[in-house]
Amino acid sequence: MTNKENLAIGARFALMVIVYAIFAAQLQSYYTVAGVSALLTSAVLTGLICVGVAITMIAGEMDLSVGSMAALSGIFSVIFFPLGLIPAIVLATLICTLLGAIQGWCIHRLNINSVVFTIGTLIGIRGLCLFISGERTALIPFDRIAETDVLVAKLWILTPLSICLIVTFIVAEWFMSRTLWGREIYAIGGARDEARAAGVSLKRPTMIAFSISAGLAGLAGALLSLRAGSASPLSYETVVLEAITACLLGGILLSGGRGRLLGVAVGLFTIRLLVSGIAALGAPFWMQNLAVGALLIIVIASEAIAKIMVRRRELMSTPDLIR
Amino acid sequence: MFLTKNDHQPIANEASQAAKQRHLRNAVLGLCVMTAFATIAGFSNPTFTTVDNLFVVIRAASMTGIVAIAMSFLTISGNLFALSASSLGALIAVVFAVTTSSFGFPIGLALTFGVAVLCGLAQGITVAGFGNPIIATLAFGTVFRGFAAYLSGNSIVRIDSPAALWLGTARPFGVPTQSWIFMLCALVCWAIIRHTKLGRQTILCGSNPHAARASGLNLAFVTSSAFVFMSVGTAIMAILNVAQFSQAKADLFWGYDFDYIAAVLVGGIALSGGKGSPMQAALGAILIALLQNYMLLNGFSSGLRMTIVGALVVAAISVFHIMQGKVR
Repeated sequence: MTNKENLAIGARFALMVIVYAIFAAQLQSYYTVAGVSALLTSAVLTGLICVGVAITMIAGEMDLSVGSMAALSGIFSVIFFPLGLIPAIVLATLICTLLGAIQGWCIHRLNINSVVFTIGTLIGIRGLCLFISGERTALIPFDRIAETDVLVAKLWILTPLSICLIVTFIVAEWFMSRTLWGREIYAIGGARDEARAAGVSLKRPTMIAFSISAGLAGLAGALLSLRAGSASPLSYETVVLEAITACLLGGILLSGGRGRLLGVAVGLFTIRLLVSGIAALGAPFWMQNLAVGALLIIVIASEAIAKIMVRRRELMSTPDLIR
Repeated sequence: MFLTKNDHQPIANEASQAAKQRHLRNAVLGLCVMTAFATIAGFSNPTFTTVDNLFVVIRAASMTGIVAIAMSFLTISGNLFALSASSLGALIAVVFAVTTSSFGFPIGLALTFGVAVLCGLAQGITVAGFGNPIIATLAFGTVFRGFAAYLSGNSIVRIDSPAALWLGTARPFGVPTQSWIFMLCALVCWAIIRHTKLGRQTILCGSNPHAARASGLNLAFVTSSAFVFMSVGTAIMAILNVAQFSQAKADLFWGYDFDYIAAVLVGGIALSGGKGSPMQAALGAILIALLQNYMLLNGFSSGLRMTIVGALVVAAISVFHIMQGKVR
């Protein structure tokens, strides 16, 4: 980690603190124990998914199918619920991880643009959700609903879901920065040709990145659906927007190979603080999506301007080209 | 990285004769597939081949097709496609309904197209600077949808205009206006791509952006123009829809993006850009409409329909990709 990176994360952290301060001045729930706990829990869905999206972005790819994957996992987890709470979550997550691995293999093998491929699977998996659930919301049997109470238990500001989120962030950061497989993902994202020349296989990192993103989407879908006691086949359609915004805001470069999950966590909470704040101030529901969209456009525009500035500086520093 | 993966193609300087032949072959292939499908479908379900049903299919294909044709400009210029078309359609529909009910039909129409061009420019300039059309249009989509909800007060906006009603429901020479406009759009867009300077520039930007930049082409201008085409096409579709039902609301066309994209993908326009024609998008739209109609008539559930269309899209992109010989 260089000084420059630290500085960038520091600046992002400052932005998050500013957003927090603006809303905390008007909303009591931003500093009470119950309020902070609710904020943390509300970040779990986007948080788990944006870790996966961030890893695929670091690999220089993109997974747009996460929303459908989470919905599919929700339906599977409710179907498997009779086996018990933990087996249901594990099974649903495993199925999604497997689907993700297949997806990664196809993308590698076909050498296809992953945005395009995952748009296709986004439609297909959503259809599969509707098909498996018979177009109805899947429900946990009412007499067994008490078994899911453990998911809403509270420990000061923590809940099992938010603990899960924090552990995921720590494990993912360790995996990406300390293990060979994680470094390979950085390598194929940042400099694919050089990585290949150095003997890094493209197959393993691609498959791992897509397995992780599908698996985490599956975990998020299973946890949230079991907590709610029901899974709708049409849910989580807009989550990918928030996840991508969190990643870009957190300093993950779209071109791949750059960015850290610590930054993603900062980006995630910036968005959650903003969206929850807008909702708590009583704005209509469409206002939340509008805010995320506008935020993403601002991030995109500033990245575009930064790119132009860099290009201009490069031109200035090579006088031969100008003369 | 994933956007520039396919940039290193040889410059598309092969004889245009060969390209023409390939396009002709593709079109003939598409027609054969459609005819075969229609024949099989007609045998298994007699309702499918009735004249009334033909009009239903044509009208359904027209609405998707107009947007798909317009979106093919994006794909051909190397910008994949837009995820904002359905939301933009909702915004345009609301704008059209609001302006028509307060200023009358002609001014409403003019203002609506003005808004469409502005939306296209905003998206085009952002994408030209940022480089990722998918994420940029995802963001713009939510903003458009939000504005639509804001402008309509999140309720249904009704219009009462005889001119608009004629536009939406008339059948000159027995064919719905939507389908006339669909055919007109297909012809005009095909002519623009094949026979104008802008069309040539669009193709070059798609097939080899580095060569395009080196030869002094303004990539930002071409990208912006492609987005303006996309927005205007979406506006035409949205206006026709409002005219037909005399009302607009913010959640119109929710989830239709995938139909537009599916039409472009099934039409076989190369996703790396530079190859294909708006006609292919039109054929793709008709094929999807036929398939959807057949599944509806046979009482397939919406989940099964969606799964089949999704599978078709994945299969189509994989097959076209394998045909281009880029597989490891």
